[in-house]
Order: sequence, then structure tokens, then C-alpha cells
Amino acid sequence: METINIICVDDQREVLSAVVRDLAPLADYFNIEECESAAECEELMDELDADGEHIALVISDHVMPLKTGVQLLTEIADDSRFKEVKKILLTGLATHADTIKAVNQAHIDHYLEKAWDGQELLQISKQLLTEYIVSQGLDYESRLAVLDAPTLYKLIQ
Amino acid sequence: MKQYLKYLFPILIPGIILSLPLSWFPIENITLAEQRIIAIFVLAALCWVLEPIPIYATSVLIIVLELLFVSDKGLWFTQQASPDLGILLSHKDIMATFASPIIMLFLGGFFLAMAATKYRLDVNLARVLLKPFGQQPKYVMLGLMMITAVFSMFMSNTATTAMMLAILTPVLAVFAKDDLGKVGFALAIPVAANVGGIGTPIGTPPNAIALKYLVGDKLITFGEWMAFGVPFVIVLLAVSWFILSRLFPADTDNIELTIKGRFLKTPQAIIVYCTFTLTILLWLMGGIHGMNAYVVALIPVAVFSVTKIITKEDLKKISWDVLWLVSGGIALGLGLEKTGLAANAVAAIPFGDFSPLVIIGGASVLCLLMANFMSHTATANLLMPIVAALGLSMHSLLPYGGQVALILCVTFAASLGMSLPISTPPNALAHASGHINTKQMAKVGASIGVIGLLMTFAMVYLLTVIGFI
Repeated sequence: METINIICVDDQREVLSAVVRDLAPLADYFNIEECESAAECEELMDELDADGEHIALVISDHVMPLKTGVQLLTEIADDSRFKEVKKILLTGLATHADTIKAVNQAHIDHYLEKAWDGQELLQISKQLLTEYIVSQGLDYESRLAVLDAPTLYKLIQ
Repeated sequence: MKQYLKYLFPILIPGIILSLPLSWFPIENITLAEQRIIAIFVLAALCWVLEPIPIYATSVLIIVLELLFVSDKGLWFTQQASPDLGILLSHKDIMATFASPIIMLFLGGFFLAMAATKYRLDVNLARVLLKPFGQQPKYVMLGLMMITAVFSMFMSNTATTAMMLAILTPVLAVFAKDDLGKVGFALAIPVAANVGGIGTPIGTPPNAIALKYLVGDKLITFGEWMAFGVPFVIVLLAVSWFILSRLFPADTDNIELTIKGRFLKTPQAIIVYCTFTLTILLWLMGGIHGMNAYVVALIPVAVFSVTKIITKEDLKKISWDVLWLVSGGIALGLGLEKTGLAANAVAAIPFGDFSPLVIIGGASVLCLLMANFMSHTATANLLMPIVAALGLSMHSLLPYGGQVALILCVTFAASLGMSLPISTPPNALAHASGHINTKQMAKVGASIGVIGLLMTFAMVYLLTVIGFI
């Protein structure tokens, strides 16, 4: 089975752990990576891509030193290697202008406000992962246990 | 270690078979070509059961291995003259399995299904056909099952299931948490899709594989197949509906399915409606117009290509894997038959001593069991060539319908394996909805499988009595 990665980015260690904890049910089927800065995430994505691994989902915080989440996600959206990657912005402190940028330039797939509901984050992640797997023609049958069934029904008709 | 076994067995065991001296085989006058076909057959069986590689890849492997080792243009050392060499296959015949008439029949079916989905004929038909069934859960379930079954006669069982489950999902969400009705509804769809596939030769690949062996005076036309297939589907569907609505009664007394959309009225949509109807009519008419089902199947291919209803991009989405999976089965059958292995192997086992009823029963039960644990098509690929050879050589079978009866029983049995989530893709999809547990699926699937098999025997008996087979 191909390795499919989920990358979580947040400069606060405890927030990052909370996100990963919420996604724990996916851990048997996906590789969950943690990054503490945008730069670390970019480096990791570069590495994973060079190893031929799939990056399905990036969940990023917005307010981080050096480079913000919206900046990071915009760069991902503009990179032809990562055009299929699904993106979630997870933030409590984005301004109105940041939010507009996130939608128009970073083309985020979902906006989630802090403090978030763990179940909701998991559910949205499942939906986005299902979309990624079907659009990439990856084998969905072996991962049925953690995919979102209604999304799958719509996509494979 | 355990995870490597599935890779190890398909390499080791055929390797051992190839290295054994000919005299060790319990078949008289076995040739080298036959020995190689045995090895390929065992490899295919192990690969389809253990699935170290995708099932269609196994099919491609069969074709390429036959070309390399058992063909007239294979590797040099495989062709070295020897008194034991036996009959090598024509490389053209092996390659032709990719474009066998059976494959063309399925290609035609794929074109029809793709065009119907693209122009939303399927969803719109579902909307109209569901209306008369009202809102009482019992009857809504009956309606859903009938429509799913009809669609799966012409579309892939998996695509039909996905479509119907998508329609059903918003309804299931409003059911009370402990309402058993949810289980019934979620199970009704895959059951109906699996059963419905039996109705036509293009409903499911095992049917097409059976057609490959029903030639000459045993020919069954598209219309003839439907003449016994559709009544069979109707009765089994009614039984399934009875079981499901008894085991899982719904507490709610009102169900509202909302399907949005309108029939498209663009010229292209109208071409799709007309071609769809025309193709089915031509199929049903049998030979009156001189064309057989295979030739008719290519009409929609031409019409939809010419009118750009199926574009270059759509063409890439055709399930080539299914076509290749069937091709591999045909190639396997070709190898078994043309090298003479099938006839020799059947002759080596004293089947004549068995009662013909034991043979029919045994083969069908074996097929049903295998189909519960592996792909229906792969099951048919493996069993059909052997069953066909057996049916041909066993004269005691004749009073019971002969080869045709045996082939039909095994074919129907292949579609009846549906007791586990892994049995069929429709089962896996329904199980993923989260409303069904494996035990419930096993209970329903196993009962319908057994009842369906008994009904198959009854049907074949009836067909024999009226002199059809």
C-alpha cells in the first residue's frame, strides 16, 4: 500500500499534539507528520515528494512566526507538485483580509476556527482524504474503514 | 513471515510443478505444454485467492506467460522439439483474447452505462420509477431494490450500488439511532445489485464468461438469457425483500427520497435515450435481424464516438481492468482447451462413477463458497473452463441438461456469493456506510445465497423439463 501523508503545522507544541490526537483514528492508514513551522513543513513536503510519497492533506495554523499559514498554503497551492493537496486552515486569529486571501489565493478546502471540535476535524479530514484518494486513483477498497462513505458514493458513480 | 507467504506461494508452487518429471503427473501421456498450463493455472488460482497483485494483473500475467512459454512464438527453449512437447498455442489466438467477442459485448455495455450516467438517464429514471412506491418504508425498499436490480442488469454492480447508496444516505441519516430499518435499507442495495447482475449476459462478468462456453448448438442468445434470468431475478428479489423487511423492520412510517434533477432534453441526451432503447431492443430480438449480441454491442460504441457523447477523456475512464480480468480468464480457458489438458485431466479422474447430480451440486457449492471469499469474476475464470470440459465429457449429465445445465448452475452460483464485505465491491461499499455489521450481512447474504442456489437448481430442472436445454 502506498504511503499517504497528512501534515499538521502549528508553532505551539500542545496545539499540534491536540490536532494529532484528534486524527489518531486515521493513524493506521495514513502517516501523520508534525511540523512546528512553515519552513519545516516545506522542507518535509519536498522530501516526501522526492521519495514518491503522497501528501493528501495539510492542516495549518495561521499565526506563526516568520511565515503565516495563509502564506504557506498559498505557496502549496501555487506549486504544481502539490496542486492536488487538500488544505485546512485552523485558526482563531485570522483577520478578515487573511480569510479572503485564504479562500482566493490559497484555495483552502476548509476553514476551521479554534477552539475546534475534534470530531468535526476528523470528519472533515476523512471527507478530504476520500476526495484525494478517488481523484488520484488510489486504492480506496483497502482504506474503506476510515473513509467517508457518503463522499465516496458521490465520487465513484 | 506471514505477509510474505502470499508472494512466496504463487512463485514456489508453480515452480515446483514445472520442475517435476512428467511421469509424476497422474494424467496419461501428459505433454510439456500441458505441464506448463498446469503451472500457469495454479499460479492464477493462487494469485486470485491470495491477491499478492491486483486481480486484473494476474490476468495479464496469464496472457503474457502463455505467450512466452506455451505459444508458437514463445521463448526459444520452450519450443525445442521433443516427443513430449505437445500442442503449442497460436500466439494470435492468445492475443485475440483481448478483443474476444465477449470483451466487445462488455465494451458495448460500458459505453451504454457511461453515456447513461453522463446524461443522468440513470438518476432521472430512478426518480421517476421510485415515485409509484410511495413513502411507506416497506414499499420504498421494494422500489429501491427493483430499480437497483434493473440498473445492475446493464450497468456495473458497483456503480449502481454507489449511485443508489448516494440517494439513500440522506434518508438513513434521519432514521432513529436504533432503528433496525437502517440495516435493512443499507443491505437492500448491495443484495439487489448482486442479484440483478444475474439477469442479463452483460449484467456481471461471470455471465459473459459462461457465454464463451455456450457456443454451437448450445448457444444462448441475449433474449433467451433474459427470458430465464429476469424471472429468476424477480423471484429471488421478492424473497430477499421478504427476508430483509422481516428481519429489519423500520420503526418510522414515512420515508421521503428526494432526487433532484430533470430529464435532459438536449439533442445529445435524446441520442443517448434512443441508442439505449434501440440497443436493448436489438439484443432482445435475437437473430431476426441477422446480428448477434456481440455485433449489436458495437453499435452504441460507434454512435457515441461519432456524436462525441463519449469523448477522448471519457474513453480513459472505461474499466479496462474488468475487460482485462475477463480476457485473462478466456486465455486460461483457451490454454486448458487447446493443449488438450482440460479433456485429459477430466478423463484422468473417474467422474463417470459420480452421480451427475453430485457433480452439479458439488461444482455449484464450491463456486458459491469461492465467490464469497474472492472476486466473482476470478472464481468464474478458474472454474468455468474445468466445468465446461467436465460437462462435455460426462454423458450421464445429459438427462439433467448436460453441459449447459452445469455451466448455468455454476455461473449463477458465482453471483450469489455475497455474505461478507469482501465478497463483492457492492457489499464493501454498503458495509462502509457504517449502518451494517458483518454478522447481519453474513446472515442475510448466506440465506440469500443458499436460497438462490436452490432456486437455480429448480430453474435448470424446469428448463430441462420444457426442453430448452
